[in-house]
This record gives sequence, structure tokens and C-alpha cells, in this order.
Amino acid sequence: MVKRIALAQLTSCWGCDQSLLDLHLKLLDVLPSLDIVYWPAVVDFKVADLESMSNHSIHFGFVEGSCRTKEDVHLLKLMRQKSKILVAWGSCSVYGGVQGLGNQWELKDLLERKFLKADTITEGRIPDENLPGFTEHITPNPDIVDFDAILPGCPPTSENTAEALTALITSKSYDLPDKTVCDQCPKERKEKKIKKFYRTHQGHIDQNKCLLDQGYLCLGFATIGLCGAQCPTVNAPCKGCFGPPPSIKDHGAKIISALGAVADMPPEELERAFPDPLGSFYFTDYASSYLSKIRGKQRSKKTK
Amino acid sequence: MTEREKTIKIAPVTRLEGHGELTVKLTKTGKVKDVQFNVSSTRFFEKFLEGRFAEEAPRIAPRICGICPEPHHLAATKAVEAAWDVTPPPAAIKLRRLLINAKQFSSHALHFFALAAPDFLAGPFGEPALRNVVAIIKAMPDVGKMALEMMQFGQDLAAAVGGKAIHPVTSIPGGMLNPFSEEKRDLFLKRVGQAKKQTLETVTLAKKVVQDYWDPITKLAVTPTYYIGMHNKGNLEIFDGNLRVMDPKGKIVADFKPKDYRKYFGEYVPEHSYATHIYYLPAGYPAGIWRANTLARVNVADRMATPIAQEALQEMRDALPRPIHATFAYHWARIIELVQAIEEIENLLKDSQIVSKDTKLSDVEPKKGDGVGCVEAPRGTLLHHYWTDERGIITKANMVVATNNNIAGIEKSLMVAAKQIFEDKAHEGLKFPDPMIK
Repeated sequence: MVKRIALAQLTSCWGCDQSLLDLHLKLLDVLPSLDIVYWPAVVDFKVADLESMSNHSIHFGFVEGSCRTKEDVHLLKLMRQKSKILVAWGSCSVYGGVQGLGNQWELKDLLERKFLKADTITEGRIPDENLPGFTEHITPNPDIVDFDAILPGCPPTSENTAEALTALITSKSYDLPDKTVCDQCPKERKEKKIKKFYRTHQGHIDQNKCLLDQGYLCLGFATIGLCGAQCPTVNAPCKGCFGPPPSIKDHGAKIISALGAVADMPPEELERAFPDPLGSFYFTDYASSYLSKIRGKQRSKKTK
Repeated sequence: MTEREKTIKIAPVTRLEGHGELTVKLTKTGKVKDVQFNVSSTRFFEKFLEGRFAEEAPRIAPRICGICPEPHHLAATKAVEAAWDVTPPPAAIKLRRLLINAKQFSSHALHFFALAAPDFLAGPFGEPALRNVVAIIKAMPDVGKMALEMMQFGQDLAAAVGGKAIHPVTSIPGGMLNPFSEEKRDLFLKRVGQAKKQTLETVTLAKKVVQDYWDPITKLAVTPTYYIGMHNKGNLEIFDGNLRVMDPKGKIVADFKPKDYRKYFGEYVPEHSYATHIYYLPAGYPAGIWRANTLARVNVADRMATPIAQEALQEMRDALPRPIHATFAYHWARIIELVQAIEEIENLLKDSQIVSKDTKLSDVEPKKGDGVGCVEAPRGTLLHHYWTDERGIITKANMVVATNNNIAGIEKSLMVAAKQIFEDKAHEGLKFPDPMIK
């Protein structure tokens, strides 16, 4: 039976869509079982078409991106209403994404930087005509509506999406593996005792050895193993863009406690090595951290 | 004649990367009063880059665009290198050129086949259900397969050089983290011949589309504007060169190093779009509205950098005099650039230095300063400007992304088209071929 699928883009980079297209010839295997009823990146149906569909008439709804605007919130709720199975697709959708780092500031600071103070701006103003308006902060989608499945990744690999999609088409459940990037990494690991941390541009990287063992902040140990360890394989430290494995609740908290255990240095030195803990430990999932949620609550109280 | 004012809204504008809506306002008498291209979201990268390690910007900034992350990856690297006064080894520069051309190739193929071709193959009056690449794959399987293979070639090559194709990771201040192995090079040398053959078939296909749609191409949405693009001694260039600005009459009015951009770039904030309008500062707004992207680049460049692409450009210039203001000619220019990309890729793969192990410096030190990194993204001139403190932490960022160089121009051409269609019913008089997909 051909299944009806909708893919909706909230605020995002559309890398998840490119990743799906990157199945290339394998798309030809998947497409015959799908009737695409909404996918603005590729197909011409409009929001009004989506609004006019009956509730739960879409078999699979994929939502990528996070709610930076009020229109995003509307589209998210609409997708929930129309879809039988709703999938949070990609790290923006699951955790808020890189734009969640904006939660470190107030909305007015973000607006001011972009629309009033940019170097090239000749006459600043905050645009507001025929526009949806911004949300005060990024809230991860699963805190706004219920999802039936989540697939993190920045972006999920083409294979990740194909696997999830195939499971759905064949009515199988799709569960995330409780393994880490290290489980997939080809580099040789030893017992860790880090004497000094290096920044990625520094020094000479030994291609055969574990990057963390060499003192580079590679977050593979605390990051879900779905990506095939693409980054450490090419000597680029894992930044944790797929988020933690299911058993870890707060990505950054786990990273900090684990680093404390393997760093052979006084705590002050460890602290000095990472002057930007939020950027370093919560690359795409700051919005879903306890820290951001506490800040969000304080913000809501203030505005009430 | 309509009896009351009318607003037409297209929400969302489809087959584009990003969030946009179109608003057309008509008066009681059916005249076009206003056309707005409402870009309806933004994420504030300029702000949340503050406080980050600058060497991580090449990992963060690609997330601005999942379709063209390579140009962001490289513009960010170049900006940090400029701020820290770092010159990477020559092999690293060649790998970066290979990376940006791989992306140029896959993005242009994607744009032509998946974003643009549906309009021409299903026709502008075709059913929405048929006006997409999935329908093309079904109705024209040979073309569909070729399109998918071309996109895959570019994406696979980008992944081989960049670590991953979407949000690449290997470029770092001081070089490239991962040398290109001889095995990988040999693999792509085997594949490049087929990709080149398919590119030339695409040129033939594009020429047929141009012939079939000659009437709308030369008459609809023809919009004189300024143009901005990169060149290297007059050759069309996408990785490293000077920027040129051409005025609507075709005169080069500025030719400058990207680091001096603030003398030439103005940023107008419209009331109706979260994407700002970049324009030629000396001419003011809206007179100085410029366009970027493929047509702008072939307008400002004297010639293409490679021979087959140059032949293709000459053919275009013989048919349409420079500067070309025909908006639909963007697609034609895209195909000419597709040819240059595959020729550049072939040359780089054949360059023995591409497999050099010497791709990264090991003594890069941060310093206080600021730097501009500029490349051409598939959709236009892209510029990152970062300020860092003595620890190499970003204290401020300004970015002019490719699309913003084009938004005002898009809106201007939409106004031209809207007037032609709503006031003069141009679509009824123009000659369109029978759709190939129906």
C-alpha cells in the first residue's frame, strides 16, 4: 500500500532534506511506496493544502527544524494534528539545533545584533510587516507536541533516514541504539589520562590514535553512534551534533563529569581549557539542556 | 477589473531552500501596488557565534545552509586565517578548491533538475502534483537517473574531501585535517569522465529548454540591476579573488578586495523580510540594488576559467548581449558554471599535489584581530567577517550571505513579472511549448 508522507520544514538549514535527496539512486527504491502530500523543498503543495487535509490522514509526518517563529509553532501543531506517526527528524527538531545556542541571550539582544547593529546596516529597524514574529526562545519540539519517533543528527545520514523510513513503511518499530560514536570509530584507544587539552588547529594529529587520547575535545564517548564516526575518521573531533545516546539525559552534564574523570589536571586548569562550555558541550542541544530550561522558566516568569 | 483591493499570497514559496512567502497587492483597478518577498525566518548566527572558539566557526557556520555548507565552511576558515594571519600549505588550498567545486557541481545539478526543471518540463501551468523532480523521475527515467548520478558525483566528492558532504569538517585555520588519499583520488578519476559526459548532455538539454522557452526567457521578468561577483584576473572564480560590481549598463564600477567590502556593501532592512537587502552602497537604496548568483558572475567576469565553459559562455553572449538582465537566463548561466566546475574538478584530480600529505600547519597561533573570508556560494557572493580576541575567541561577527545579495533583486524582478502578468496579461501572449510531462 502506498503511504502518504509529509515533510515539513520549521526554521532550519534544510540539510536534512539534502540528506534525504542524497539517497540518490536509492530514492528510486523508496519512492514507489510513498505519496508525497507536502514537502515544500521539492513539491509545490502549499500550507493551505496541508490545512485542508483531514486529521490523521497522513501516515508519516517528518518535522525538521525548530520553532524560531510563531509560524513554526503553527506548522508543528498542524503536522501533529494531520499525522498518524510524527517523527522528529534531525537535531534541530529533537533538541532545538545549533540555533538553540541563541537561548544564551534574550530575543531583544539577537534582534539588535542582526537588524540594528550589523556593520553594513545603513538604517536599522526590526521587520514586522507580513511576518510571523519570533518565539522568545527555542523550545525543543518534543516539549511542544508529542512525537512517535525521534531521529537526531545534524543531519541524520541518508542511511539513517532510509532505515527509519523503511521501518515505518514495513510497520516495524524504530528505536535508537544505545551505543556511542566511539563504538563506531576506527581509531586506536588507550586508557585515558589527559595531561593537556589542545584546540583543533593546534599541533600535529596522529591519524591512527584516538583524538581524545591526544588531548583534542572529541565528544564521541557521550554522543549517540548513528553517524558512523564520520568526523573522527577524518581527524575532526566529534562535536556531538547527534546528541547523547538514549540513556543519557543531559549531554553537556555527562561530558563535563566524564572529562573530570579522565583529565589528569587540577579542576581550575580544566575550567581554563574550556572558556565556552555551552558552545563546546552543547553544540546542537543547548535548548534541551537543564541549564537552558531553567533560564527559559526564569524568562517566562519575568515576562508574566 | 477587480472591484476591491486584492492580496495574493503564495505560502510558502516552494522548491527553494529557506523560508519565503510572496505577497502581491493589487489595487481596485488591478494595478500592482506592492510585491513583497517575505523571508519568514532567521536564526541569528551573528549573535550566537560570539564567545565561541574561532577555529570552531568552520564547524558552526555551515549550519547556515544545508544545501551549500561547503562555501560557509571555507568562508569561515578564510576569515579566521585572515584574522590570525595564517597562510595554509598550497595542497590545502587545492583541496579546498576541489571541495567548493564539488559542491558547486552538485548544487547546480540539484538546482537545475530538482528546483528549476519542473517549471520547464511540466510547464508553468502544469499541475502541482506533476511539477516536481519526483514526477520527472517517473516520466523521464533516463533524465532522472542522470540527474541523480550527477548530484551524487558532487556530493560523494564533497564527502571524500570534506569528511561529510552536509556540514563538512576538514577545513581548519592552517589547513586541512585530512589529506586526500591516492586510492580516493583514483576512484574519482575513474568517475569524472562519466560526470563530464553527463554535464555536456545537460548543456544540450538546457539549450533545448532555452530554445523552447525563448519567448518568456527574453521577455518575462527582464530586470536591469547592478551585479556582484568574484573574478580572478577577469576569469570567473568561486574560491579566491577580487569582487567586481557592474552597473545596469554593463560598466564595471568597482573592483576590490573582499576585505574592503564595507565601502561597497550597504545593508537595507526592509519592513517585510527577515532577510536583509544588500545593495551597492555608493548608489544608495533602491537604486543600487544588485543581484548575485550565476548570472551575476557570468556578467561581471570577462571569461570563464576553463575552455569548454568558455565556449558555452560565448554561445550565450552571442545570443544575449552582456550584461544580461533576463532573469530566466540564471538557469543558462548555471549550466555554464556547471561545465566550469567539472573541468576544474578534473584538473584538480589530475594535479599530483592533490594527494600531498602536507595539508596542515602545526604552529597556528590565535591573535587579536579581524578577518574577512569571501567565496562564491552557488547562490552568490558569501562573506564572513569575524573579530577575535587574543585567545582566538570570537567577539563579533558580521555575515553577508549569498541569498541576501539577491533578495532585493528577486523582489525587483518579481515586481516586473507581476506587472507584466497582472496588468498586461503577458502570460497569455507569450509562446510556451507543449509540456513534456503532462
